[in-house]
Amino acid sequence: MSDYRFIGAPVERLEGREKVSGAAQFVDDVEFGPNVHYAWVVESPHAHALIRGIDTSHAQGMPGVVAVFTGKDFAGLHFGLYMKDRFVLAADRVRFVGEQVAVVVARSPAAAQAAAAAVWVDYEPLPAVFDQMEALKDDGVRVHPELGNYEHVPWFFPKAGTNIAHWRKIRRGDAAQGFADADVVVDGVFTVPRYAHCAIEPHGAVALFDQSGRLTVWTASQSPHTQRNLFAETLAPLGLTHHDVRVITPYVGGGFGGKAGVTMEILAATLATKLRGKPVKLCWSREQEFYNTYQRLGLRSELRMGVKRDGAITALSHTLYWDAGAYVEYGANVVNAVGLSATGPYRIPHVVIDSLCIYTNLPPGGPYRGFGYSEFLFGLESMVDKASHAIGMDPVAFRRHNAIREGDVLAYGASMNPNGLLEAIDRVAEEIKWGEKEPPSSSTALVGKGFSLLWKAPAMPPNASSTAFLKFNEDGSINILISAMEIGQGVLTAMAQIAAEVLTVPPHKIRVETPDTDRNPYEWQTVASHITWSTGNAVRRAALDAREQIFAVAERALHIPQESLYLEDETLKCRTRPDFCLALRSFVISGIQTEDGTYRGGPIVGRGMFMPEYASAVSDPETGQGGHPNVHYTVGAAALTLEVDRQTGKMRVRKVVEALDAGKAINPRMVKAQIEGGLVQGLATVLYEDMRFDEHGRLANPNFTDYKIPTAMDIPDEIVPIIVEVPQPDGPFGARGIGEHPMLPAAPMVANALEDALGVRLTSMPLTAEKVALAVMEKEARHGQTA
Amino acid sequence: MAIVHQFSYARPSTVVEVLSLLALHGERATIMAGGTDVVVHLKEGRLVPECVIDVKDLAGFRRIAVSDDRLEIAAGVTFSDILCSPEVRDGFPLIAESAATVASTGIRNRATLAGNLCSAVPSLDCGPAVLVHDAHVHLASARGERNVSIHQWFTGPKQTARRPDELVVSVTVPRPQRRHAGCYVKLGRYRGEDLAQAGVAVMALEDKTYRVAFCALGPIPARAHTIEELLAGRELDEETLTRAKAAVDGEIAPISDIRASQAYRRHMAALMLERGLLEAARRLRGEPPAMALLGG
Repeated sequence: MSDYRFIGAPVERLEGREKVSGAAQFVDDVEFGPNVHYAWVVESPHAHALIRGIDTSHAQGMPGVVAVFTGKDFAGLHFGLYMKDRFVLAADRVRFVGEQVAVVVARSPAAAQAAAAAVWVDYEPLPAVFDQMEALKDDGVRVHPELGNYEHVPWFFPKAGTNIAHWRKIRRGDAAQGFADADVVVDGVFTVPRYAHCAIEPHGAVALFDQSGRLTVWTASQSPHTQRNLFAETLAPLGLTHHDVRVITPYVGGGFGGKAGVTMEILAATLATKLRGKPVKLCWSREQEFYNTYQRLGLRSELRMGVKRDGAITALSHTLYWDAGAYVEYGANVVNAVGLSATGPYRIPHVVIDSLCIYTNLPPGGPYRGFGYSEFLFGLESMVDKASHAIGMDPVAFRRHNAIREGDVLAYGASMNPNGLLEAIDRVAEEIKWGEKEPPSSSTALVGKGFSLLWKAPAMPPNASSTAFLKFNEDGSINILISAMEIGQGVLTAMAQIAAEVLTVPPHKIRVETPDTDRNPYEWQTVASHITWSTGNAVRRAALDAREQIFAVAERALHIPQESLYLEDETLKCRTRPDFCLALRSFVISGIQTEDGTYRGGPIVGRGMFMPEYASAVSDPETGQGGHPNVHYTVGAAALTLEVDRQTGKMRVRKVVEALDAGKAINPRMVKAQIEGGLVQGLATVLYEDMRFDEHGRLANPNFTDYKIPTAMDIPDEIVPIIVEVPQPDGPFGARGIGEHPMLPAAPMVANALEDALGVRLTSMPLTAEKVALAVMEKEARHGQTA
Repeated sequence: MAIVHQFSYARPSTVVEVLSLLALHGERATIMAGGTDVVVHLKEGRLVPECVIDVKDLAGFRRIAVSDDRLEIAAGVTFSDILCSPEVRDGFPLIAESAATVASTGIRNRATLAGNLCSAVPSLDCGPAVLVHDAHVHLASARGERNVSIHQWFTGPKQTARRPDELVVSVTVPRPQRRHAGCYVKLGRYRGEDLAQAGVAVMALEDKTYRVAFCALGPIPARAHTIEELLAGRELDEETLTRAKAAVDGEIAPISDIRASQAYRRHMAALMLERGLLEAARRLRGEPPAMALLGG
């Protein structure tokens, strides 16, 4: 199909051996010598309280204690990615159980922990709110009385005096007319709880403010440059500037959005400024990893969908009430992103979307793989099945009939990018044998099939950008410097493949490493599934830049016209002179020697940058019309075959199929692995993961005893990943991202399969065996049957 | 997370030394074998002992002995030791089957059966199996030795008949005198390691008598005598099974907690008993064990 040599090849992961052998270093592995100091936080036991006073005197005097800090020491230091509503340490008020109110720094972890327990905090407990619908009431608790004063990005619309931190409205067409035109109107209410990322490596940060006034912070992060920016902004009152701050990010043991932006790292950075010359280390425990980083937001969604008997969707009303937690500096953008895209990948002429970001006294909600799309797709794709049943149309035929196509107008007025959604639907339907009944393996079991479409756009500021440097070495090998993070997705390998394709140097001769913001050029963040596309473009441009330099120096030194030159197998060749062949290694550092013994050229260093220049977040706040907030959508389809025991509710995924339009799979083996991993993660959120809070807002299961993530025993019997390739016009070699997408359809396809098998519709995640069994019992009781 | 609490640590090589330390510290001593519970409790500050007595080095404490009439499991024997023992797997398959459901491989490599019995949590996976086997717990103290029937062992949630100065030395599991087959059915939230939300061990004997014990369905793991009496001498026909299932409610006292609701536990206990009985009967007829008795 193509003449690519390295693009589309199943290249072995560059850092695989390093990780498997244990050579790879993570932040907790970095050695800081005997002078390292350990920090431990004092946490609020209250979900909402005023801090009347803090007595640190006893803790100060305990063995090994170096210093104890409270909010007073860091007064005025607040931060946030999209809205500055967070504090380094709680000043006068705590807003969730587990929030940091003081920090102890000591010479050992145990000393710090013991002293933290001896810090005495005088609280005045306040009424707290844990439910977003409750928080909407006029006369209730106000989580942020100062909301009206917070700085935020221009595309957020907070309502001062309420708990609504942002309200994204989309109005398109005439919804009243759309519902009037419908033959059938269906509605439903769906709820999704909070979820935890559960990266195997907990958050960790080490900061050193050296005697020269440099602040270096080693973090487990997806966002080194964004962290540098937020550290510099937050610590500006202390006199720090961007060029004083350096962030180094070694390998990361899983991100899933949880290590995007800045959370606990700000504490290490700030503490270091008070303890010059002393490396300060702060590592979260597994419990803290659950309750004091971002959590996935909870959702209650209310939907109405109007359809014609011929199968056309005429109107959609979709209201999304998000439990965004105590701080929404990042989470509010989840709400925004979903507001823009809550139609799903469907052409719908009349649309009303309201997506509300609501403060509660639960831990901060924030980015989680899927950025809100899994949550709203549960309701939407359940409703799509309901609507198709209501008009007696096959759910897959109904989806195909309404599927969005290139050039269709999106809910906010821009147009849909080229995509392979129809191909994805058809290939999944074929692979899952849609329409064929399959026999169960026992007398109490039933088998159902469920289908779902998916889409997702990168959610990012319109001017988010990526850069790359590319340096040749004497032997013709290459170092690529980027600040995209390797978080297990394989970015190092994909970037090497892109450069390899342009420069004909094989990937194993290209070194790409995790960044140091002093040395590596700017990258916004490794989030939003945008790296392959955005950083990929930057790397491709850096490689092209290097190639142009090579051609230019060859022309200058050897008088061969640039147009006739090309690269092949690490050599420079000429179309008009078949005998000409110059190895890259012979001149990429030393230059090309001319007849008089002088040299032309010198070290080849390429530079590449990418920023989408067509994106804009400026739109009418009341309708959402007018901007171009999303650069493109990645689409796909998925289906599964589910066996369920109607008595016990126990489920087994016999087969799951998912097709994603990757535009161009740079490394198909890694794309397939992403699909497999994402499906397993997604199915776990459907079948058993669930954050549970008690009546005081305390997380009841901050551990793997009662928060279950899948083991090797819990993967589906068969996973079939399918790659569709309709090129993205502005993607490197046509590529677009697929990192988050695999898990998006998990919930609705299970819910749809359960209804197919049992005739019961579950609307509240997770869809546990217990819920299934109790729902069947209830149904049978209604129908007077015996179990 | 560090262990903040300070304590002395002893790792004696003789029982005599352990007993004298126990006599000295009494309730302020904590005996540790695998440490899979103790270390977690130390980290969380739920256990603040004066002295931790590690019994891993005690001579003979990893011994498994099988004789014609019984299996003897010394107190340092891990669940993995049990699973790796052909004598246990062949002669006491129900013990092995329940051991295989305890936590995960890594935990089973350290955790001991005796330690588990001392933890005495309501969800104790090995509880129903040792109960239907009428096992005994053997204890030693500076005052002498004593045997406690497993039926008197569990005195409350996380409470046992062990006195503060006593060390569990071994557990003996009598070999049933008739041909028999057993089955342990466990309810977990997924296929990976989980604490039982409900568990039932069933033993079917060739004289058509049955032994049944539950865990995670009441404050302690316990035998279900009413059900056993109701089943005694009967074929497992539909009527008998219906009566047995109807009797389950009276034998259990489940709670609602984060892991499962009381309603689901009750519903599942009856189903698990039914499927467990039928499976044990199938095994008694020599049929191979079925997989995934609860589906999923």
